[in-house]
Amino acid sequence: MSGFNISRRTMLAGSAMLLASTAMPDIGWAQTPKKGGRLVLAADSEPRNLNPAIVASNGVFFISSKIVETLAEASFDGKDGLAPRLALSWEGAADGLSVTFKLRDGVKWHDGKPFTSADVAFSALQIWKPLQNLGRTVFKDLASVDTPDDLTAVFKFAKPTPFQLIRNALPALSSVVPKHIYEVGKIEDNPANNAPIGTGPFKFGEYKAGQYYRLTKNTDYWGKDEPYLDEIIYQVLPDRTSAASALEAEEIQLAAFSAVPLADLDRISKVPGLKVISKGYEGLTYQLVVEINHRRKELADLKVRQAIAHAIDKEFVVKTVFLGYAATATGPVPKNDPQFYTADVPTYPFDVAKANALLDEAGYKKGPDGKRFTLKLLPAPYFNETKQFGGYLRQALAAIGIDAQLVNNDSAAHIKAVYTDHAFDLAVGPPVFRGDPAISTTILVQSGIPDGVPFSNQGGYKNDALDALIAKASETLDTSARTDLYKEFQKEVAADLPLINVAEWSFISVARDTVGNIANNPRWAVSNWADTYLAG
Amino acid sequence: MSRFRRFLRTPEAVAGAIILAALIAMALSASLLFPGDPQAIAGPALLPPFQDWSLPLGTDRLGRDVLAELFHGARTSLAVGLAAAAAALVVGSVVGTLAGFADGLVDEVLMRITEAFQTVPSFLLALAFVSVVGPSLGIVVIAIALGTWTGPARVARAEVLSIRERDYVASARAVGMHPLAIAFREVLPNALPPVLAMSSVIVAAAILTEAALSFLGLGDPNRVTWGGMIAEGRAVLRTAPFLSIVPGIALVLTVLGVYLAGEGVVETTAVRRGLS
Repeated sequence: MSGFNISRRTMLAGSAMLLASTAMPDIGWAQTPKKGGRLVLAADSEPRNLNPAIVASNGVFFISSKIVETLAEASFDGKDGLAPRLALSWEGAADGLSVTFKLRDGVKWHDGKPFTSADVAFSALQIWKPLQNLGRTVFKDLASVDTPDDLTAVFKFAKPTPFQLIRNALPALSSVVPKHIYEVGKIEDNPANNAPIGTGPFKFGEYKAGQYYRLTKNTDYWGKDEPYLDEIIYQVLPDRTSAASALEAEEIQLAAFSAVPLADLDRISKVPGLKVISKGYEGLTYQLVVEINHRRKELADLKVRQAIAHAIDKEFVVKTVFLGYAATATGPVPKNDPQFYTADVPTYPFDVAKANALLDEAGYKKGPDGKRFTLKLLPAPYFNETKQFGGYLRQALAAIGIDAQLVNNDSAAHIKAVYTDHAFDLAVGPPVFRGDPAISTTILVQSGIPDGVPFSNQGGYKNDALDALIAKASETLDTSARTDLYKEFQKEVAADLPLINVAEWSFISVARDTVGNIANNPRWAVSNWADTYLAG
Repeated sequence: MSRFRRFLRTPEAVAGAIILAALIAMALSASLLFPGDPQAIAGPALLPPFQDWSLPLGTDRLGRDVLAELFHGARTSLAVGLAAAAAALVVGSVVGTLAGFADGLVDEVLMRITEAFQTVPSFLLALAFVSVVGPSLGIVVIAIALGTWTGPARVARAEVLSIRERDYVASARAVGMHPLAIAFREVLPNALPPVLAMSSVIVAAAILTEAALSFLGLGDPNRVTWGGMIAEGRAVLRTAPFLSIVPGIALVLTVLGVYLAGEGVVETTAVRRGLS
């Protein structure tokens, strides 16, 4: 089963994204890693709160995953796609009411105190469940954590919770922080949120605002001979064009998370000494989604939503906006997901004539100026690609007589306008698929979510059948039955179009040839880098 | 007639006038030469200039025609530049005339307000205003005018202060004209020439400010603007520099043209005044 998944995952990642594989030399696991050296890389944002147990987001993980470790990490070839970190094994009870973790022995916190099951219990109950953005959903039924000994933690759930979900949540949601540091005072105000203390291969060194973060080697790390690097420097380079120049000038050795603009990759792949790598982000798939405000009477009509879906040329979006570094989407689960994806859903091929016919049928005839109605379109400002797709969508809608007026906002204003004020008709959003639809995908279409929850269904969409399906899947323990329910969920979403999935994409790293062991797991950029090294 | 000939005798003025005429022609012909939506996708993305003669200046990242965008962008730039300058001149001369003519408390209050606006850099004022109210063409015009009306106001006040002591103003008072009528019928028209002389600088600055706002993403996203084009081209500066260079050159030429033509006009009127 898992062997099949891996080959399918690798194949899909390779074929769907058609990435610059020719420019990808052997990734270097054949070489013997060298010790020492300082890795300098580009960072495009400066998160202030570096506690990954509270803020489970890729921007925070990028830095703090080297300092604070999770119970397990995603893996290309491990069982269920996982590799052990702080936990050595995990076992779910048949009734779905408990999960038992066996923890790693001989692990020490950066301040010298031993790591025990009490830290896991504290992190889960005091932080993941009440405070963490994603943990609130996944661990909502966690009642207690038993610690029969220092190396065993038993999670007890009040309601049956699918083991598959807990497993899939481990890489992103299970950052363990030290109890002895956090039990004093208010967790949100703890100074360790800005200078984290963990068990990871690197210790927090210093942070100079606007300049850099410095991490130093943890000489007491549990991994044999690891880490190889002495230091990691995150050079703050907020300007996207500067990362490419800094790489060429050898000021930095690595630019992850597509810090080098896609349009520059072709040129940079020809620069001697630099390599373009598209692997290592399989577990971090972003989805390009058109969010719909169903309060607008035109958009509440399924025919209009179908017309919009038919008006979008997904191939063009992948080719032009993403320059081929993306895949077209069919529904709310990305194609590269090995567990849940199904292609058996209603599809909406690019067809302007059909879109026009659907709008006529719905009763929205073209006026004398060729326009049917006007919509407010808010593209999310976080990525160049979401902004560009906003420009494309405006043109695509113009072709079917819908006049879309673009409204540009900064990040904070966009989140407020869409998720709190609902002051939008259409929005372009980049939700993340995190390995299980229950983590951050079903919330995009489920009803009954309070106003102001970002990246959730704030479009006023309500579909009782879909809600029932989501509720049923959340308490189905059998893995294959649960997977089938989520396949049903994909069909229902693609049929009723609470939102329109356009494309799914991931990131590209550009690195010097000397950086070894890059992209050796599906969440490489946000993993612990214990085995990363600098050759030569 | 002789004034026009004098204007033609200064080469800078002629160069400025030619550029300006070309620009106005571009703006007026935009919808004739490039009917329809300039933001429509016209061809393959990132086509370099001079490759395909139906798209002479190439296409941008989404495959829009750069030439069409350039023509329609000329419209936005000129419209915003002229509207903002006109608004600034009208508000400025009215405030200046009132302050200068009324004297006393009114003068004090109006001039303190003017100074308050002057102490804030005009670009920051525009930036703050647009980010609070939200970007649209009208708002951008108001935002730019907000930071530029102070110059005309001060110049108008200084002129009015000298004009109001003249004999014809005194006689207008003597025949019992309403003070406001004197201010706006007798004094303002005579105070205007030096204020208008500032217009070229104000128009040029307004065009640049609009471009800068669009560059920062605070322009009207539903219109093509040169500043917006430069900003969008910046992401692919290394691979497709023409996307930033083409609108950049257009911007430089426009500002230069407006400035030179304005200088020419000022010079010819100054010579005429000197002769008379």
